[in-house]
Amino acid sequence: MRLHESHYAYPLIESVHVWCMAAFFGLALLFDLRLLGWTMRRVPVSEMSRRLLPWTVVAFVVMVLSGSLLLFAIPLRTYQNIFFRTKMLMLALAGLNVWIFSSRVYRRVETWDLDALPPRAARVAGALSIALWIAVIVSGRMIAYNWFDCDTQPHSAIIRSLAGCTTPDSRN
Amino acid sequence: MLLPFFSWCEHSWIGQTIQGSVWLFPVIESIHLVGLGVIAGAVLIVDMRLLGFGLRSQSAEEVAANARPWMIGSLVLMVASGILLFLSEATKCYYSFPFWFKMSSLALAIVFTFTLKRRVIRQNLDQRYPLLGKATAIVSLGLWFGVAWGGRWIGFS
Repeated sequence: MRLHESHYAYPLIESVHVWCMAAFFGLALLFDLRLLGWTMRRVPVSEMSRRLLPWTVVAFVVMVLSGSLLLFAIPLRTYQNIFFRTKMLMLALAGLNVWIFSSRVYRRVETWDLDALPPRAARVAGALSIALWIAVIVSGRMIAYNWFDCDTQPHSAIIRSLAGCTTPDSRN
Repeated sequence: MLLPFFSWCEHSWIGQTIQGSVWLFPVIESIHLVGLGVIAGAVLIVDMRLLGFGLRSQSAEEVAANARPWMIGSLVLMVASGILLFLSEATKCYYSFPFWFKMSSLALAIVFTFTLKRRVIRQNLDQRYPLLGKATAIVSLGLWFGVAWGGRWIGFS
């Protein structure tokens, strides 16, 4: 694939990916902090959700599109990258957390909309969300620095199997 | 003139330790990135409010008061992690246009945020002069985006 070799396209797409991440994470974080009762305590939770989350959806869509392009530029090496695999796992867990929050906790929001300190279940969802998105960002940044690359041997058997290395183990 | 200082930074104990490690630079960079997300949220929510998006039923002053501790906290985190990253590649930064562009934008963004923008919000000037509020938001977004552009591009230069 030529994208990785392009002088401007790859850096530009990666920049768009990072900037969308900043907008997405920043606005999602403010919502999560509201769930924890750490900011905007006088603003109804439903207003935060209605006013901010559409922007996070837009940023998320652009992030997925730009991220897919980055993946397709370097597909095999990325697929066998232990940090990429960690990132996808954390992303799935973050998605699961959003699904559980919106299908259970947020459905009864009118009973706690104005609470400065939302109920425990909402606070747990907020804290989990922050932790999981930070894990996505950190493992995402590590993809480019992969010091467990299958081609730079030797690695322990567990690292090789977690990364899905198919090259022969250099220690044999 | 500054080159000997930049070179001294890179040869400092901290600069050499980060350079000599495979994982220290990426880990510090990740902390810098998380800080970027926090500051982006804290800046965006206020500028969006000034532009008439986001938390429209709250005053810009109320939104800014809530966002301020997160903005200042993340700024401190970013400057601290940024200094560590700089120490490990100071000579490269000296010759990097994006680095100087980023530092100039950062200085302007900080001065603008804590003087003119603060005044517009504190005195609720955006309510009397909506265009002034919008102009303030656009300048703020432009300056902070300049910082973000330079930051990402240091790594590509």
